[in-house]
Amino acid sequence: MKENRLLLRFLRWFCPPALYEGIEGDLLEQYEYDVAVFGAQKARRRFAWNVLKFFRPGIFLRNRFSNQLINTMMWGNYLKVAARNIQKRKFYSFINAFGLSIGLAFCMLITLYIQDEKEFDQLHTNKNQIYRIEEKSFDTWLHDQADPYRKSAWIQAGLAPTLKEELPEVVFATRFNEGNRAIFRYGEKVFTESLTYVDKDFFTMFSFRLLKGSADRIFLDKAEIVLTPAIASKYFGEEDPIGKTVEIDNNGKKSFTVTGIIEPPPAQSSLIYDILLPQENRSYYERNLTNWGNFGTPTFVQLQANTDLAAFKTNLDKVIDKHMSAMLERWRKEAAVPIPAEAKMLEYEFTVLPEIHLKKEISWEKVSDPQYSFILGGIALLIMLIACINYISLSLTTSAARRVEVGVRKVVGAQRNQLVYQFSFESLLLALSSLVIGFGLVVLFLPSFNEFTNKAIELTLFKALQLITVGLGLTVITGLLAGSYPSWFLSRFKPALVLKGGFTSRLQAGFTKPLVVLQFALSAFLIICSVMMFRQMRFITTKDLGYNKEQILVIPTQAGWTEESDRVIEQFRTRAQQESQIVSVSGTSSSFSQGYSRYGFKIKGEQKSAYVYAADPNYIPTLGIQLLQGRNFDPAIAADSDVVIVNQALVKDMKWTDPLNEYYNWREDSVGMGSRVIGVVKDYHFMSLEQDFEPMLLSMNKSSVGYLTTMLVKVGDVTTGLERVKSIWKELYPDKPFDYTFMDQDVANQYASYKRWMSIMGLATGFAILISCLGLFGLAGINAVNRTKEIGIRKVMGADMQTIFFLLNKQFIVLAIVAFAIAAPLSWWFITNWYMKDFTYKVALSWDLFALSMGAGLLLALATVSYHAIKAALINPAETLKYE
Amino acid sequence: MSKEFLGEFEELVLTMAGILQEEAYGNAIVAEIKQRVGREVNLSAVHVTLYRLEDKGFVKSTMGGATNQRGGRRKRIFTVTNAGLAMLRSMKEARMDLWKLIPQLKMVTL
Repeated sequence: MKENRLLLRFLRWFCPPALYEGIEGDLLEQYEYDVAVFGAQKARRRFAWNVLKFFRPGIFLRNRFSNQLINTMMWGNYLKVAARNIQKRKFYSFINAFGLSIGLAFCMLITLYIQDEKEFDQLHTNKNQIYRIEEKSFDTWLHDQADPYRKSAWIQAGLAPTLKEELPEVVFATRFNEGNRAIFRYGEKVFTESLTYVDKDFFTMFSFRLLKGSADRIFLDKAEIVLTPAIASKYFGEEDPIGKTVEIDNNGKKSFTVTGIIEPPPAQSSLIYDILLPQENRSYYERNLTNWGNFGTPTFVQLQANTDLAAFKTNLDKVIDKHMSAMLERWRKEAAVPIPAEAKMLEYEFTVLPEIHLKKEISWEKVSDPQYSFILGGIALLIMLIACINYISLSLTTSAARRVEVGVRKVVGAQRNQLVYQFSFESLLLALSSLVIGFGLVVLFLPSFNEFTNKAIELTLFKALQLITVGLGLTVITGLLAGSYPSWFLSRFKPALVLKGGFTSRLQAGFTKPLVVLQFALSAFLIICSVMMFRQMRFITTKDLGYNKEQILVIPTQAGWTEESDRVIEQFRTRAQQESQIVSVSGTSSSFSQGYSRYGFKIKGEQKSAYVYAADPNYIPTLGIQLLQGRNFDPAIAADSDVVIVNQALVKDMKWTDPLNEYYNWREDSVGMGSRVIGVVKDYHFMSLEQDFEPMLLSMNKSSVGYLTTMLVKVGDVTTGLERVKSIWKELYPDKPFDYTFMDQDVANQYASYKRWMSIMGLATGFAILISCLGLFGLAGINAVNRTKEIGIRKVMGADMQTIFFLLNKQFIVLAIVAFAIAAPLSWWFITNWYMKDFTYKVALSWDLFALSMGAGLLLALATVSYHAIKAALINPAETLKYE
Repeated sequence: MSKEFLGEFEELVLTMAGILQEEAYGNAIVAEIKQRVGREVNLSAVHVTLYRLEDKGFVKSTMGGATNQRGGRRKRIFTVTNAGLAMLRSMKEARMDLWKLIPQLKMVTL
């Protein structure tokens, strides 16, 4: 009968009291009957089944209406009491609402993120018929056993026209090359711009709106150009751009006529552009059209509706057979590694437009990993959960103050579920105000969130409304969920006990303790990590790199890979000699962090490699590089055009003892001995600090290292110097844009991703500390409430404030230490294996870091719990004990 | 016919309540349905149907006296109201009217 009783308890729980007796009686009667007919065992089973069958909406939802009728009458009162309560405990209410609002803000931000991911490339009418063609080829370079294929969206330039011509299902096709920098000129205005080369079909396939011009009349001629409004107004101002002729210098000047204005791509577009030009204008276009070995052109096709994709794939294979089979066979034979006979050398695959954004295995501008959405969603849920539990524990701390109210309400005739409604209503009200705060937080943190996630989410009115709807849903759910336990707890008080006085209740909130440890461990982890990251960043930015990066302007010569570049630097130097603000002018192939060239070669049968920088005689003095042995380049010595200056790492690599008598044969000269070494420089960090010193050489040899395309100008004073350099540039090259960067900023930019991580960590730490403090605050409050009587007695017995303060706080110190013990090894592991792994030069992990973080954490914990401890210790014992 | 109408099961339960008179409570109706129609119905279904009929005003319920049986629990006795009777009657008549419209053919026996 024991299980029967359990079942009946269950029945009583959900069954409206009015119906209960009749139902129970019928059930028991049926049971008695069944026992007689089927025997006890089967009867018990049938009884259970019968009870469970009663758990249906017709029963447990019955008669709920009558309650609601009364409730609406009381709503005005509930609202008033809730408002008064919030007002009465402003500080506490604010903390509680704030904690929840952090969770809500996080959820809303992450909703925005996930939504943004989903919206990618959705604007195109034909989005489901547009495919990006990708190549999958056997990788003979990396030769990864597990996955020997390489996939890429860069394919041959000739494929787009071929497909359109040979395959009937291909309606439109366009190639798409973006990010080609060139000098753009209209009249006096000269800037460097990024060009995108497309085909005529681009305007028909994609739904980017043409603001001026029409899709079927654009790009009939290769000398046409289409601009976004921003570019148009930059060059033409208020004038009508259509029909204007502009000049573009991209390895040779050409003129283009503006024939269209196109709306800029939205932030959620995989295709980005500023200036559109016909593909025919690309360098070596004609040659590449028939060269099936040159993979450099992303291609999109639009297929007929209802195209059989399997058939399309077969047709693509046929195209390969027709045009590339001879070449692929040759590749197979010449491959450095044996290629299995069954492996295909080359295959085409395709991805439908809306899926491009999340196809992370194929590299593309703005491509993203769908996993991020899941991870972020998980984090949001976790934070929300923690916020809810904190909310509960915080709500419970004030329950003592509400006891009398509950008692009076019950005496006057409030039913228990009415009280539950009342407290749920209150928590809902508080949750709603936290929604308002949360929304404010979203607006406040959206810019930084965008920066962390590399997105450009804007809060439009529509989005804001959507967000508020989502937030409202979340708020109602969390408000009710988080409010359920406190309201259940509060409504349980027995009026007689409460009103008689002397009733102390113990709050059962054991679940908050592990949670607080978890939260604190998380905060401690984040504190240690951020401090470590900060130290590493400081170390990196202040480390002596071996050269002087201050006050150096980096200016591209804008003359391409030609003799012209060298002349620009020479001219500029001559002109700048009269200037007091300009210390020196030097030329090089590329500035640090702006790309490098690394040469691989064989010396005496051994594979060697070195980084190579073109330099001129001014290079070493301008950068303040230390010359250890030998001499600098000398323009007066003709033979210096083929000598090298090497760094210590190269000397070590070659195991030279007397480098100045050595020759470095880095061009695999079979006749001569190679380049004579005239000097050795002290190692300096020409690469980022992630790398150790590598062999490097400086050379003036034009035919081997190319031209000096970058000018380094050392100025005396940054502001006035920059002004002078700019005006000299305008005077010498009025038709060339003056683009410049500062070397120290360039070098710092190498660590941009680490900086981003540091700021993410910083923000996360801030939030984690806040949340864990809230949790701790709640727990301390519960603790203080639970021990009110104990404290009273202790005070009567003569305990002083210090003792009580210590008594109440010591368990939190223990909690904080436990949390720290969990966090310290974790953060140590994380920092060494993940963050610092990429750095060759790193700041040492020292004990003081942990001690410092722990001290800070403890101090924080103490400050948080002290509020309650002091409050509890200050209560007059007469107050708490007078009813005993 | 009025807007209110009864489902097949509702009509069955209502009819049984009418038949059982003072003894019309959940279990009795289940047993009666089994005995007269030969149909196994679940107690909970009968209860829910009775409450629904009560909502519609076709039956009303009172608690009966306590007995030694069924753990001393009282029975909830359902009585058919006038509205319930009228409903049953109008349903029966409507059905009869329809029945009359069917050509009264003899059943073919093989």
